[in-house]
Amino acid sequence: MDTAAYSLADIAGSRFPLLEYAPDATVIVDPHGMVRLVNAQTERLFGYYREELLGQRVERLIARYHGNQFEERSVYFADPQVLPMGVGRELYGRHKDGGEFPVEISLSPLSTTEGTFVAIAIRDVTERIAFQQRLQELNAQLENANRAKDHFLASMSHELRTPLNAVLGFTGTLLMKLPGPLTAEQERQLRIVRSSATHLLSLINDILDLSKIESGKRDLSFEPVRVEEVIADVYAALSSSAQEKGLDFTASAGAQLPELVTDRRALHQILLNLANNAIKYTPTGSVRIDTVLATWQGSPALEISVNDTGIGIKANDLQRLFEAFEQLDPTSTRRFEGTGLGLYLSRSLTLLLGGGLNVVSEYGTGSTFTLTLPLVGHTS
Amino acid sequence: MSARILVADDNVANLELMLYLLRAFGYAPEGVADGVAAFQAISCGNFDMVVSDILMPGIDGYELARLMKSDPRLKGTPLVAVTALAMSGDRERVAAAGFDGYITKPIEPQTFVSQLQAFLPAGPA
Ligand SMILES: Nc1ncnc2c1ncn2[C@@H]1O[C@H](COP(=O)(O)OP(=O)(O)OP(=O)(O)O)[C@@H](O)[C@H]1O
Ligand SMILES: [Mg+2]
Repeated sequence: MDTAAYSLADIAGSRFPLLEYAPDATVIVDPHGMVRLVNAQTERLFGYYREELLGQRVERLIARYHGNQFEERSVYFADPQVLPMGVGRELYGRHKDGGEFPVEISLSPLSTTEGTFVAIAIRDVTERIAFQQRLQELNAQLENANRAKDHFLASMSHELRTPLNAVLGFTGTLLMKLPGPLTAEQERQLRIVRSSATHLLSLINDILDLSKIESGKRDLSFEPVRVEEVIADVYAALSSSAQEKGLDFTASAGAQLPELVTDRRALHQILLNLANNAIKYTPTGSVRIDTVLATWQGSPALEISVNDTGIGIKANDLQRLFEAFEQLDPTSTRRFEGTGLGLYLSRSLTLLLGGGLNVVSEYGTGSTFTLTLPLVGHTS
Repeated sequence: MSARILVADDNVANLELMLYLLRAFGYAPEGVADGVAAFQAISCGNFDMVVSDILMPGIDGYELARLMKSDPRLKGTPLVAVTALAMSGDRERVAAAGFDGYITKPIEPQTFVSQLQAFLPAGPA
């Protein structure tokens, strides 16, 4: 407020109601540190009648531990400007009854016809500090909960893998016919045990991955990766299941693919999910993995597409596809086992890799899922 | 002469699985159910390779690796972890403890023994 043309008595009067009714306790002191004026909130906050304060030293109201109170005062008068105090300092208001409470103070010059005074605005920050403490406690609790969750995930992973090792291991020894020959029916049933246990393992891995991605714990290591190698790995992992269904499964890595800087494991996982789906949702025909160089968001990129001649996806189902636990056509779940995590995980991983994952599909004809990864630079 | 292999795992089924596979491929492995027994056996016996789980009561796999690798007589013996600790960072922790090899559970029954053979100084049995 521009007070230079007024006296202190004018300011105390009705000319400046903002001062009297300010939400902060406002104390006007002279250059000697004597209180010359206080407002209504000062009376409320400190428990004094204003007559008890006028002419007293301002230190009666303010306590500071460690060091001299108001040592800034002289500095302040040499270079008068708004000077917030109490930030990073321990300043306390002192109530008439002796009680102390944390305050935040700001000082500003007040020019009057009688010279320059200092207006001190004092705010009780008891609640804010209590709130900050509560927030800190909550943060600490959250951190503990996160640690507990990480620990839980790690032991879950370990505890689930341990019995699966014996299940898959001894199913394997039986199928290897190490203990002796098997009848055709025994062998068929053991294969069912093995494929179910393998499926269980992949569910466990998916769920662990999901919670790692969601808590930002999935570590990626970006390195130069030869895409054709990753495609060859995926092809090798799935070719027998494609063959069993009589599908024509091909993977053509275009000539002279540039090296991609990406996380190999994540790329492998995405392509495995896409190709796995393509085989799973294609009763007859073909599944093809293709790569082409393209432009994406104005930069060179690599497109890896997985194309199938399968059941396809209805247009209005397309956006649901990438959501966690979403499986289209609930009646089909008996035909196709799964959790509906594959595409959600693939999309999440793609985003971590700085790329995009899209689908084009015609219901009844087939689908093409396309993974696009930038060739230069990556999000780290 | 067949290589002498010690296998340590506190899970009976998993211990039996590893012993069974090794026997099926012509070895005569010895099995123990915890780290303490493993370290006793290693200290007395003359093993060509030690295959060990990580999480075991008493002396765990990490501790076993440190004990073996700080003993001049034992540190040359190949030590392979077969563990259900398969989260990111586990491989590095296992290697840092001194293990020469790291195989995660569930194991591949078809290739398990040949994976181990890669760590044996001599060829197959
Ligand atoms: N190539 C495809 N052709 C037709 N439908 C598909 C194809 N890929 C995915 N879908 C549909 O999208 C749904 C979600 O796929 P997603 O991979 O996330 O789950 P899922 O295959 O059911 O289970 P899992 O978690 O085992 O992969 C599937 O249930 C299926 O209905
Ligand atoms: Mg799937």
